[in-house]
Amino acid sequence: MTSVAEPHEQHYAPAAGPPSRWHWLFGPGWIRAAWMSALFAGIGLGIVVLLRWWGGYEPILQTETCVTVSLLTALPVGFLAGLGAFDYWVHYFLGKPTQPDDHSGHGAKTWKDYFRVNTDHKVIGIQYVTTTIFFFFAGGLLAMLVRAELARPGMQFTDTETYNGLFSAHASLMIFLFVIPAFAGLANFVIPLMIGAPDMAFPRLNALSFWLLPIAGTMMLSSFLVDGGPFAAGWTGYPTLSTSLPLGQTFFNMAVQWAGASSVMTALNFLVTIITMRAPGMTFWRMPLLVWANFTTSLLVVLATPFIAGSQFMVLFDRIMGTHYFDPHLGGYTLGYQHIFWFYSHPAVYIMMLPGFGIASEVISVFARKPIFGYRLMALSLCAIVVLGFSVWAHHMFVAGMAPWLRVPMMITTLLIGVPTGIKVFSWLATTWEGRIHFTAPMLWALGFLSMFVIGGLSGIYLASVPVDIHVSDTYFVVAHIHYVLFGGSLFTIFAGIYYWFPKMTGRMYDERLAKIHFWITLVAFNATFFPMHLTGTQGMMRRYADHGPRFENWNLFMSIASFVLGASFVLFLYNMINSWARGPRAPGNPWRALTLEWQVSSPPPLFNFDEIPQVVGSPYEYGVPGARHAVLAGEPAGELQEARH
Amino acid sequence: MQKGAAVKVILIAIVVAAITTAIAIFLPWLPASDSKEGDRIDVAIWFVTGICILVWAVVAAIFLYSIVAFRARPDDDTDGPPIHGHTGLEITWTAIPFVLVTAIGILSAVILAKNGDTPKNALKVNVLGEQFAWNFTYPTYNNLQSTTLRLPINRTTKLEMTSRDVIHSFYVPQFRQKQDLLPGQTTTINVTPTKLGHYVIQCAELCGLGHAVMLGQVVVMTQASFDKWAHGSSTATQGGGAAAGKALFTNNGCASCHTFAPAGATGKIGPDLDKLPQYAQQAGKPLETFVRESIEDPSAYIQPGYPNVMPPFKNLPAQQIDQLVSFLTKGSS
Repeated sequence: MTSVAEPHEQHYAPAAGPPSRWHWLFGPGWIRAAWMSALFAGIGLGIVVLLRWWGGYEPILQTETCVTVSLLTALPVGFLAGLGAFDYWVHYFLGKPTQPDDHSGHGAKTWKDYFRVNTDHKVIGIQYVTTTIFFFFAGGLLAMLVRAELARPGMQFTDTETYNGLFSAHASLMIFLFVIPAFAGLANFVIPLMIGAPDMAFPRLNALSFWLLPIAGTMMLSSFLVDGGPFAAGWTGYPTLSTSLPLGQTFFNMAVQWAGASSVMTALNFLVTIITMRAPGMTFWRMPLLVWANFTTSLLVVLATPFIAGSQFMVLFDRIMGTHYFDPHLGGYTLGYQHIFWFYSHPAVYIMMLPGFGIASEVISVFARKPIFGYRLMALSLCAIVVLGFSVWAHHMFVAGMAPWLRVPMMITTLLIGVPTGIKVFSWLATTWEGRIHFTAPMLWALGFLSMFVIGGLSGIYLASVPVDIHVSDTYFVVAHIHYVLFGGSLFTIFAGIYYWFPKMTGRMYDERLAKIHFWITLVAFNATFFPMHLTGTQGMMRRYADHGPRFENWNLFMSIASFVLGASFVLFLYNMINSWARGPRAPGNPWRALTLEWQVSSPPPLFNFDEIPQVVGSPYEYGVPGARHAVLAGEPAGELQEARH
Repeated sequence: MQKGAAVKVILIAIVVAAITTAIAIFLPWLPASDSKEGDRIDVAIWFVTGICILVWAVVAAIFLYSIVAFRARPDDDTDGPPIHGHTGLEITWTAIPFVLVTAIGILSAVILAKNGDTPKNALKVNVLGEQFAWNFTYPTYNNLQSTTLRLPINRTTKLEMTSRDVIHSFYVPQFRQKQDLLPGQTTTINVTPTKLGHYVIQCAELCGLGHAVMLGQVVVMTQASFDKWAHGSSTATQGGGAAAGKALFTNNGCASCHTFAPAGATGKIGPDLDKLPQYAQQAGKPLETFVRESIEDPSAYIQPGYPNVMPPFKNLPAQQIDQLVSFLTKGSS
């Protein structure tokens, strides 16, 4: 017997009659979120004041402590509680009747449903993607300001303190509020569909994970408003600079906690979902590579993220609690921070890349109309990257003053991680070989990724070699490298994914011509902005300098102009998305003739994805194999199944 | 795969390799190497460049051929041949990169070890970094202090470095050498300059708002003129008067942040010291008291519009503080 999805029509009736007339104030929603935020902030402040008064600490209203406890910790908890993220669990704790099958918080009928705690993975996926696009534009604008300041020698319109804040916030937003959660958002929408599940394993946890993000992002941006300016120690936040900067740095320490908690919860959710909720017949070796990619990414997130949380707490404690983790004059170890920080932040590079590998695999296979080349090796190379990814962190520290013997082993593991990455690149190339390549927008982005990522990978070989790294580390060569990897790599695949699944998410087609124009402008402007950085970097143009004097004047002007074109190209994207979502032609269920499961249901998919859990019968990439099937859905004849099985 | 395709791919690869090699050779992307360590590092750079050009040419050729030769007609809805893999190919593109990166690893490790060897006759210089200045001490020359790093040519100098406050990094692009300076820890690096001339030290680790102006001077000189300088100036700060004050001002790195006409300083990070009397008035203190307090405990009064980042100098010898105070008081009024 095939397992049958639960009949979701039988919703429980609400427990206690009609809602009271105070529901607008005490029911979950933005009004309750507003007053509960204020209430919790007040309580937080009260606790600090009370304890400091009681203990006789002066001054009682110590700014940084009050801000940390009241605004950066208690207020967000109040906001989440007010919005209703904890309602079910609170009811459960209090022994009130709970309704496990209450699906009133599931799905979106109007746009308002996107602004509440929603347990539908498809709604959450769209919440994630739109939120991260918002922070992508915020982070992009900061980058425009950085480039505007660098366009001419001398300081024009920022002072050096604000400049340091601009690039710090740019990097932090792009990493913690765009690349990592954008992948999580796309996967949130796609993974349950791909594995034939009705939702994620923990829908309420999923909702909570999303709502932590706007908190983290708002916190980072609001640091621009506080006394002393935004956090300005770079996204790496090395002490003893980060322990000596003004209040804004605390906003970074705490925002990373909120974003990190979101990451860990989502990753746990993915792991449980992928392990336990695959449709019958969906063995590990029949999983699409995107599922593999998110499975391996989630392993990295769960194992590594606690380290960055720890490192930021230690900085925070040094700042406000008088600990001395990193103060060498009182027994601290300054360099210790970097080991802990990079033990997360190097795996984080793969957290920001493996899901992109997954997206590229899906898109390239579909639009080359060929099975992915070397499927098993593709999956195994992801696993190899996970294992090796934990043994390379100190390559960020070749000139940092760590134990010298560590440099050679870390160089070797770093060079070795190029091998599984190379396997992936060659396998994608082999997938396109003799294919029938359709240059749709998602395919253009995926192929753009493939070519740009190779450049980023090769500059990575330079950085892996210790003697070469000694010369180029902390120069613009590194800036070029990370942008080829994170922009040419992660971002290109994110946009491949957004265009690819846009019809499935919205039920509408995007404007293909506009999407292609967007791609070509971005590709050219991207290279014009970042390629020259390799050259100026090897010549000794330093990263994080507010001013370079007249030495690189012409290059800087050129790169700045190119970067403005690059920024402007995303306005096209925004217009295309908004306009197509509102007015685009209706999308068919499977516009790309893809085999994976998400394309076998309507666009957008039904509320619980599948009327009946599908039966998986073969590989997801059997393009060109006559009569091959990946899965059989309810109502289809099962007769041909046997021959497709192999 | 048809034979024609293979020939075309190889031809494209040769063209791509030729173009990339021409760019690598004719575009000025590496400054001249002016140190022995730099020469060795350049060997690694060119070795990696060669391998990267090779890999790039192969990948770009397959990519370019593929997207041109295998593009589908708009109305073509057939699928490609169902090729699932090829064990031989997969082993090849696992093994060849493995060999290439191993070669890079071995060469790099050898160069790293050679650059780490310090000859017995090496000159020792202690480097102290602080926001936002460089200080050099020559322990073998009676602890001679300098804000300019003077190095004899063709002799290895071992820099023993530490920081007073946050992390800084010593970097001279022409020497190819870079090493962070940590508070509470000593790090070392060798430099063997091979060319006479002036170079700029660039701080390579974000150290706060003056990071971009934390530039130091290196002068590479002949051993003879180095000796002459070292013996001549180790007595310069001993005398009294304005000359001593000026030397202290320069040696303690004041000039990198402050403007002060008598010392020829034009820094812009901190307050303009030519306006000291005016600041003293704003702080409501007599000039001399104010200047002394601002050296020993700079946070006591912060001139509006400037950040509170100056390190305290209260551990300078009392006599030197007196000389500085008198130099600043007299020079500004």
